[in-house]
Amino acid sequence: MDYLLYIGALMCIWIIVSVAVNLVIGYTGMMAMGHAAYLGIGAYTAASLNIFFGVDYFSAMVIAALCSAVVAVLTLLPLLRLQGFYFALATLGLNFVFFDLFHNLAPRVEASEGLYGLKLPAALASADARFATTLLITVACILIARHLVGSPFGRLLRATRDRPEAVDAVGKNPTACQIVIWGVSGALTGLAGALYAATLSYIDASLFTSTASIAMLVFVGVGGLASIAGSILGPVLLIAFTEALRFIGLSSQFIGPVQQALYGVLLIVLMIFRRQGLVGKHDFRE
Amino acid sequence: MNTLQVLVVGLSLAGSYALLAVGFALIFATLRIFHIAHGTVFITAGYTFFVLHRVHAMGLIPSGVLAVAVAALLGLAIDKAVYLPVLRRGGGMFGVFIASLGVSLVFEAGFLVYTKGVVSVARTDMLDILMVGPVAVRALDLAVLSIVAVVYGLLYLWLHRTWVGIEVRGLTDNAPLAAVVGVNVDRTRTHIFLLASALAGIAGVFSAYDMGISPETGTRTLFVAVVAVILGGMRNLLLGTMVGSLALGILTAYAGFFFPEWVTFSVFITMILLILVRPQGLFG
Amino acid sequence: MISASKGLYLDGLAMSFGGVQVFADVTIDIPPAQVTACIGPNGAGKTTLINAVCGVFRAPRGHVSLDGNSLDGIHPHEIVRRGIARTFQDVRIFPYLTALENVLIAIPRQSGEKLRHLFRPGSGVGAQERRNRQQAEALLDEVALSDTADRPAGELPFGRQKLLSLARAVATGARYLLLDEPAAGVEVEMVPRVTALIGRLARMEGRAALLVEHNVEVVREVANQVVVLQGGGIIAAGSCDQVLRDERVIKEYLGQIYNV
Repeated sequence: MDYLLYIGALMCIWIIVSVAVNLVIGYTGMMAMGHAAYLGIGAYTAASLNIFFGVDYFSAMVIAALCSAVVAVLTLLPLLRLQGFYFALATLGLNFVFFDLFHNLAPRVEASEGLYGLKLPAALASADARFATTLLITVACILIARHLVGSPFGRLLRATRDRPEAVDAVGKNPTACQIVIWGVSGALTGLAGALYAATLSYIDASLFTSTASIAMLVFVGVGGLASIAGSILGPVLLIAFTEALRFIGLSSQFIGPVQQALYGVLLIVLMIFRRQGLVGKHDFRE
Repeated sequence: MNTLQVLVVGLSLAGSYALLAVGFALIFATLRIFHIAHGTVFITAGYTFFVLHRVHAMGLIPSGVLAVAVAALLGLAIDKAVYLPVLRRGGGMFGVFIASLGVSLVFEAGFLVYTKGVVSVARTDMLDILMVGPVAVRALDLAVLSIVAVVYGLLYLWLHRTWVGIEVRGLTDNAPLAAVVGVNVDRTRTHIFLLASALAGIAGVFSAYDMGISPETGTRTLFVAVVAVILGGMRNLLLGTMVGSLALGILTAYAGFFFPEWVTFSVFITMILLILVRPQGLFG
Repeated sequence: MISASKGLYLDGLAMSFGGVQVFADVTIDIPPAQVTACIGPNGAGKTTLINAVCGVFRAPRGHVSLDGNSLDGIHPHEIVRRGIARTFQDVRIFPYLTALENVLIAIPRQSGEKLRHLFRPGSGVGAQERRNRQQAEALLDEVALSDTADRPAGELPFGRQKLLSLARAVATGARYLLLDEPAAGVEVEMVPRVTALIGRLARMEGRAALLVEHNVEVVREVANQVVVLQGGGIIAAGSCDQVLRDERVIKEYLGQIYNV
């Protein structure tokens, strides 16, 4: 039962991440392939504050989200002048840059590769409390995202995705829009990172690689671009599938590769046959 | 190891990058396809060579030739089975890029299961080593560099003296215009993929023979080759990839020697800086 | 030189691309509440002129000023906020937004576009959005696009997209509209709507328009003054009648259309 609650919490966390990534890729047309970096910043910030400075975890989460937002915007600014494809490539490069930064410079518990030993408040300490709290936070994030995309700002995002120069022509600033949403996306991802650290109770750099960013892409792609429902559906279905593999007794050395192969096949099939994903309202295009 | 020795290592690495980079650049410059799965082709040749030569004790040359052939066909198959369908249904460059990523994931997973993560070295005996002054040069390195030189020479002749080669250069400059003046884009496309993939295959065979390969080697090496291509620019394919590969070979060798923790970081920071500052490369 | 009077003033503008001079020493006075037409052959630089005024390109020589204030070097979206909007010859509507959303998005000063208002209860975003919707619907009605309000704009035929882009520019509330061939590609029976709208904006709302056009009938119908851009400069300027009877204009430009 504890295990199911654990999986449930993970699903919630990846829902938050998928929503965050969909906000920039699906609604604003910015091909984000490096969000694992922001997930890591959130996780490391929250965990470090809690373990080394005794900051209570809820405050640590808020600070982590803010730090991720700041790092996200700082890493975006130099890339803003890049056109679609080079932008994607640069964000992909960020994964590797941040992995080495995490691996070499991030704080770690003595004699260990990563961080553990979080002092969690009651609402996050036990498996069921953790699931409930995570679920609540996830629902809040979903509602915030929905409010955002249904608003005039959401309309501005989609226009920026469609024709940035025409956004200029109606007197609005597409670049400001991109920076704002990227910051929001970074904050949400960082928050998810903090929850991730609490759920896993041990984090190290190997969690925040290009593999994670590609998984985010698969979640969003399967669920569908520009769809909050899709960002819920994608991670739930895919994580359920991986757990089903475990359930039917596939030995653990195979689960990783099988999951990876599935993600690869899904990407190929999606790109050929259904680029808008299951319930997406937009299509992966140039 | 002294720093001059590191330079030799760098030159040897540059050889592999050069073979990988020129194929990648050819495909990207003519067809606008960011062929991440080129790394997959590279690694598949390596594993094929390993299985044939090391596991089944087939001779060196036949194993190598077969491995290269497999690579060439695999590259072509990926284009026909994955890229063309994506493009035909309006996928565009992005769709192809992501599909390519998907292909590399699938194959990497397959190799992970096969090798269980152990590095596979195809070589069965020791390498011959020559001493040139203070540095040791392996016969293998000389072989790689001579092959690269021959390949580049042949490529030059191909691009400038044969009809297909000239058509390829036409595609590099202006694909729609090339199609209009009657360049057979389909047939040229097939040639490009076969050739590029074969070159990647040669690199794969050498890598498997030399230091061995593991499933992630494919994409990792490919990305270094990509940075080499970006650095050299695609204006002058041969000169650009040669210079870019040399630079990246030396960079990765020295980084690997002086700060091995930061090799990946160095490569990708270089890539990002290049994209930001001079995306058209040195000669673009 | 910057004019001190009210209006949009283009003074001695010159533009060139890659060493080829498009035009030089173009001076046009666009007074408020009037329709100025700019005619001339293709390639004369009429669209480039609009680009220069709107800040898309910075003219190497010459100045643009609005009511005496210089617009040189100001970013395109800021220029719109100061009251100058433009349409594109190739339309450039937002294909995946609905027709209504295309017009809605152009309405200025929407607090719902700022994050800090979105999440504050009682900030009136909802009410403002409802008012803006009504305004957008009215505009769509004027260009007879009400029936397509909820369709993605990319699905509309070119002529209707042209009308939509006009409605979008009007929605910005800009006092100066630079319209790049607003009637070209529009269905014949809809052209009178275009001229009626432009005329009404000038007369009833005091808004000015710079109309780049090939359609001489449209020009005759609605323009208060006409300038002719040809061969790298202004070869004639004045009232409609004056210009259309000008010998040089007939010889160099109109003669091509009318076989006079």
